Amino acid sequence: MPADLDDSSAQTMSNNTGASGEASVSSSGDQIEPLKPPTRKKRNQPGMPDPDAEVIALSPKTLMATNRFVCEICNKGFQRDQNLQLHRRGHNLPWKLRQRSSKEVKKRVYVCPEISCVHHDPSRALGDLTGIKKHFCRKHGEKKWKCEKCSKKYAVQSDWKAHIKICGTREYKCDCGTLFSRRDSFITHRAFCDALAEESARNHPNGKNNANNNSTKMEIESKASTSTPISVTPATTMVSSVLPIQSSAPAASLQSHANPAFSDFIQTMTQPECPPPELPQSAPAEPISLCLATNHGSSIFGPAGQERRQYAPPPQPAMSATALLQKAAQMGANGGSLLRGLGLVSSTSSAGPSDSLQWTSRQVEPETSPVQSGLGLGLPCDEGSGLKELMIGSSSMFGPKQPTLDFLGLGMAAGGSPNGGLSALITSMGNGLDVAAAAASFGGPEFAGKDIGRSS
Amino acid sequence: MEQLLVHCAQAIDNTDATPAQQILWVLNNIAPPDGDSNQRLTRAFLRALILRAARTPASCGMNLNIHKFSLLDLANFVHLTPWHRFGFTAANSVILEAIEGRTVVHIVDLSVTHCMQIPTLIDSIATRYQGRQPPTVTLTVGAFTQQGPPMFDFVCYDDLGVKLINFARSKGVVLEFKAVPTTPSDGFASVLDEVRTRQEQMRFLYGNPHHHHQEELEEEALIINCQMSLHYLNHVEPEEDPSVVMSMRSMFFKALRSLAPTMVVVVEEDVDFTSRNLVGRLRSAFNYFWIPFDTVDTFLPWGSKQREWYEADICWKIENVISHEGDQRVERQEPRTRWSQRMMEAEFRAVGFMGEAMTEVKAMLEEHATGWGSKKEEEDIVLTWKGHNVVFATALVPS
Repeated sequence: MPADLDDSSAQTMSNNTGASGEASVSSSGDQIEPLKPPTRKKRNQPGMPDPDAEVIALSPKTLMATNRFVCEICNKGFQRDQNLQLHRRGHNLPWKLRQRSSKEVKKRVYVCPEISCVHHDPSRALGDLTGIKKHFCRKHGEKKWKCEKCSKKYAVQSDWKAHIKICGTREYKCDCGTLFSRRDSFITHRAFCDALAEESARNHPNGKNNANNNSTKMEIESKASTSTPISVTPATTMVSSVLPIQSSAPAASLQSHANPAFSDFIQTMTQPECPPPELPQSAPAEPISLCLATNHGSSIFGPAGQERRQYAPPPQPAMSATALLQKAAQMGANGGSLLRGLGLVSSTSSAGPSDSLQWTSRQVEPETSPVQSGLGLGLPCDEGSGLKELMIGSSSMFGPKQPTLDFLGLGMAAGGSPNGGLSALITSMGNGLDVAAAAASFGGPEFAGKDIGRSS
Repeated sequence: MEQLLVHCAQAIDNTDATPAQQILWVLNNIAPPDGDSNQRLTRAFLRALILRAARTPASCGMNLNIHKFSLLDLANFVHLTPWHRFGFTAANSVILEAIEGRTVVHIVDLSVTHCMQIPTLIDSIATRYQGRQPPTVTLTVGAFTQQGPPMFDFVCYDDLGVKLINFARSKGVVLEFKAVPTTPSDGFASVLDEVRTRQEQMRFLYGNPHHHHQEELEEEALIINCQMSLHYLNHVEPEEDPSVVMSMRSMFFKALRSLAPTMVVVVEEDVDFTSRNLVGRLRSAFNYFWIPFDTVDTFLPWGSKQREWYEADICWKIENVISHEGDQRVERQEPRTRWSQRMMEAEFRAVGFMGEAMTEVKAMLEEHATGWGSKKEEEDIVLTWKGHNVVFATALVPS
């Protein structure tokens, strides 16, 4: 390669081979870059760094200018002047190869222009231009080469080409047609994919017979399975790969899983009273004690063990809407002042300012006064339940400070410009999903009313 | 941004509405939802703080588009990043070592990812035992009745079990599957009971003098695999709350110890969210959750649905750490060292990960972006992103 020759044209023959070897190492071994500089130095000048090496720091632009030396005849670009000179010779143009004398063995090292990069430090400089260029591309450049098959992106075209060659060779394909590049993903997908179930249904039409071959062992297992799971936790199922699945999974338990939370709840409630349905004849004493142990087993955790709240369906979502509505209504009836203390400014991402007024008055139903004082936090959310929660929550939070609150003009902004201010905050918080929580104005008595009025 | 968030949190906690409002406003302007990873991180915290200010205790994740995964979607999703794969790979590797030479193995899986690890575990067993009779595996799965992300669309463990059994059979492994509804709020008592009962029954059956199967006398190897599930156990110590005799976490380890397991694997996020102080939690959360936001660019393109799901799951966690208190705050990660201490107090001893486990993890990380790494800390193995600890895995045996 002439490229290597010219870089070290004045070096001895053996050095030349060293240099070309080095070039090929650094251009292919991109993944082990941090290790490279010491290796390279060792190879050229064993045992000592090269204090004479000229450290070259190129700007990203210069570095990335692929072929800086362009032939004026055919516009062909070259990375090195020497190559251009050799090329010019072909056009019969005057050419000149720089002849470096043996006294000027000037080695060049290149640093990465990226300041935060380890190779920015001259002590970690890379030995050849191609190396630093590829490094810069890979580590700090845009990955514009994309593999169509696996979507992997590369910054350096040659990397991309190398990948294209092997892409797909280490690919895994499920019978359902899905492709995987990682074995783990494939294995996991395969396990849960229906394609496997269909296949095994074909391959194992008589799994029952296989099970019978193992009958002595099965006896034990089936004993264990009748005595253990059913008595302990009714909601569980025991299935065995050797047993036919349908027969070992009781229909009742399958049914119970249709609504896990609810049935678990019921089963938990009934569990202490209900003894195991049947005990193995061979072991009359032991299972009973086991059963007792089960019922009290959780006591190792003390009081907490008794609180099996988890089996109950989560109460909050259902409660919050109705309970809080009642609460809000109660508050409105008992003392309107509390609700009046909340300047509710609400908005959804789709609702305009005028909607927000309607919304407000609807939500504050029990409260007839349009004048709302104090502070408000608007929390539009699913089904409006959050708003009610908020009405309560915010009053308890900022309530004591209401009279002294400064308005800050935030509410004004909300009313004044649709793009700025509070409504924008609320809207943008919504982020296009369901509308998120948003902070609203800490309005003074007259301001909140005015704001809404203005915006409508 | 961290400083602003801290000030905002302080203002909200002091019910200083005005400064709170001001800072929220500023944050809202400097953290657009479509900003860079740091801005999106900040925005997640902003949301969480607003929720806190609004005090809507019953609404964790209510305004987040938390995706409920189907089985296959979740299988795909957990493998996008090493976040879960790291724990799977490390655990599979040590479990294989631990069950070597055993013929009956009982694996108890307490994991948040709904058995997503099991296929690879079965596969490694099948691979390792090529030409030999693989052990019979009984799998007891803790089916969480309350869950954090990633969330399942509908956890039908029967269906899941049938599929796993089928898959195991296709690999020549005999698998028994059982799902036990459980919850961290009682220290997974139902699962522990299940194991204890099974052990006692096994002893009874095998110890029966009329039984002729002397060769079956070998006790099952008991493996407890806890992937990202133990931080849901309550951490409150007696000194914080006098009504507590011992923290649920320590009790759990003591209970585990009494089952004399062959090995316990614990994988957790290496961060501290247990502070009672909001600002303390906010700081550690902010200095941890930048990682998932930072990594997402390496495996999911802008605007993809999966990316939305992924980021919403992080937001859920941030919200949980920041907006909630008491029992509702379930994301209570502890740093590795504190877990180690608890385990040691319960008379467990960490066993080092073999070179093979390290190699497996390294090979797995090769499939992901270059920022991921792994290192050893004491006997444990830690997943890192750009040198920062992310997740640790520890393997314990009774000492």
